[in-house]
Amino acid sequence: MDTSGQLAAHFFREHSGRMVASLARVYGMEHLDTILDAVQDTFETALTHWRYHGPPEHPRAWLSRVARNKLINALKRTSRYSHVDEMEIQLQGVSATDPDPVLTDEESTDGQIQLLVACCHPALGERDRILITLHILCGFGIPELANALQMKTEAVKKALQRSKARLRQKALKLGRQALTDAARQSTTVCMILYLLFNEGYKATRDTKGIDSDLCYEALRLARLLRSVAPPQAEVDALLALMFFGVARFPARLAAYDDWIPLEAQNRSLWDRKLIAEGFHYLDQARQSGCAGKYYLEALIASHHCAAPHFEATDWKAIHQLYQLLESLEPASTLIRLNRIIAKSYALGPLPVIAELETIAADENPGTAFLLAATKGHVYERAGNTARALTAYEDALSLAQNPLDSQLIRKRMQTLKD
Amino acid sequence: MKEFLMLIREDANYDELSAEEMQACIEKHYRWVEELREKGQFKEAQPLEAGGAHIRGKQRIVSDGPFLEGKECVSGYYILLAESLEEAIEIAKGNPDLDWDRAVEVREIMPMED
Repeated sequence: MDTSGQLAAHFFREHSGRMVASLARVYGMEHLDTILDAVQDTFETALTHWRYHGPPEHPRAWLSRVARNKLINALKRTSRYSHVDEMEIQLQGVSATDPDPVLTDEESTDGQIQLLVACCHPALGERDRILITLHILCGFGIPELANALQMKTEAVKKALQRSKARLRQKALKLGRQALTDAARQSTTVCMILYLLFNEGYKATRDTKGIDSDLCYEALRLARLLRSVAPPQAEVDALLALMFFGVARFPARLAAYDDWIPLEAQNRSLWDRKLIAEGFHYLDQARQSGCAGKYYLEALIASHHCAAPHFEATDWKAIHQLYQLLESLEPASTLIRLNRIIAKSYALGPLPVIAELETIAADENPGTAFLLAATKGHVYERAGNTARALTAYEDALSLAQNPLDSQLIRKRMQTLKD
Repeated sequence: MKEFLMLIREDANYDELSAEEMQACIEKHYRWVEELREKGQFKEAQPLEAGGAHIRGKQRIVSDGPFLEGKECVSGYYILLAESLEEAIEIAKGNPDLDWDRAVEVREIMPMED
């Protein structure tokens, strides 16, 4: 806490993951439900007191102490109905050897990584993994999750219960072994963090455009993962990609929540510090010979970030990178579309029209919109106003959020004027 | 300057609040109280435990109190300093608890007549 009595931004959210991790490590994953309750209860107690008196001098220590006491009390209460003595001994043993409830940063990082690996366990579905990670490691509540991932509250509740039961069933042990597993499983963890980041970035939200909270949480967890996960190349590439992404947030949305396409963005709004971070991690990834999906995507982003203005973009290089990306994931319509867009800037709109017409949208409604919008834009640039308008009409009917519709309407208006 | 008692009434059920919201709630209060202090409108404030006892009449009948009957109960109090009830009401309207749909009650503390 600084002198103004203010807590660090997202202090509760971050500390929630930290506390769950350290408690789960000491008392065991089998008590996950009780631990989550104790942590929630701790924040409620903090809310009651701090609202009146301001945060204590050492908020972290305060929270850790209270959470631990609440958990021990809860465990004692439940154990009355099962194996009292055993539990007592276990608890006494723990408190004797671990008198200071505040873990060092290193221990708390280790604990969070272990928990992260557990949450990203391949036994769970992709969406379930995103949900449980946000819930347990980032302290997202049920309404918050429902809102962030556009799900019904009931569905979120059920998914969390399912995942928690699975995690208990697996009787995951957190400890040194789990840390070794983290290194081994960093690929699956990376994938979940990548999806989490995209979830925030892809703007399916009603009007907000970017859910930057999700993106920043993904970034924070990726940084945590980096501290333990050799080989790091993949994590480095992912971090580079994320930094290039968040660096451009301020320019993507106008003051009145309006999408701004890349070519019209005010590049002076891009955060140079974050871009520098991106280049740092990109360099790290390059040195360890990374060539995967995240690396290619990070390279593409780096070209955009390096171009002083839209016209100076190295579209030839970007086109080549999309070709490589397409060879890694030949089934992805999204990558194919992006490759075509890059090509249209590298070689002009006319050479891509034939191919654009052969593409069929996949079942993802987002790609159908992007396909129609891309057609519109390519025809517009090729000077075919009639076809451009037809394609934009299609796009309008496929738009997933108000911001997308607004952008398309604006383009149509310019064409008609 | 007169003293006013402000009671906070709420259904102290924070289950639906996320960590982020709880932090926001604390910070808003902190800033608000700082502001009141600067203007000399704040004397003290304390939260109250959720539990307690209700004792009634000659028989001294002790019960769990009114806390369980109504949904809302008093969760804390402030002593505010203001020139008039109107001013105290204006101050009370700034209480961030209202943003979370809680209720506050403002009452003047009667000074001893000279």
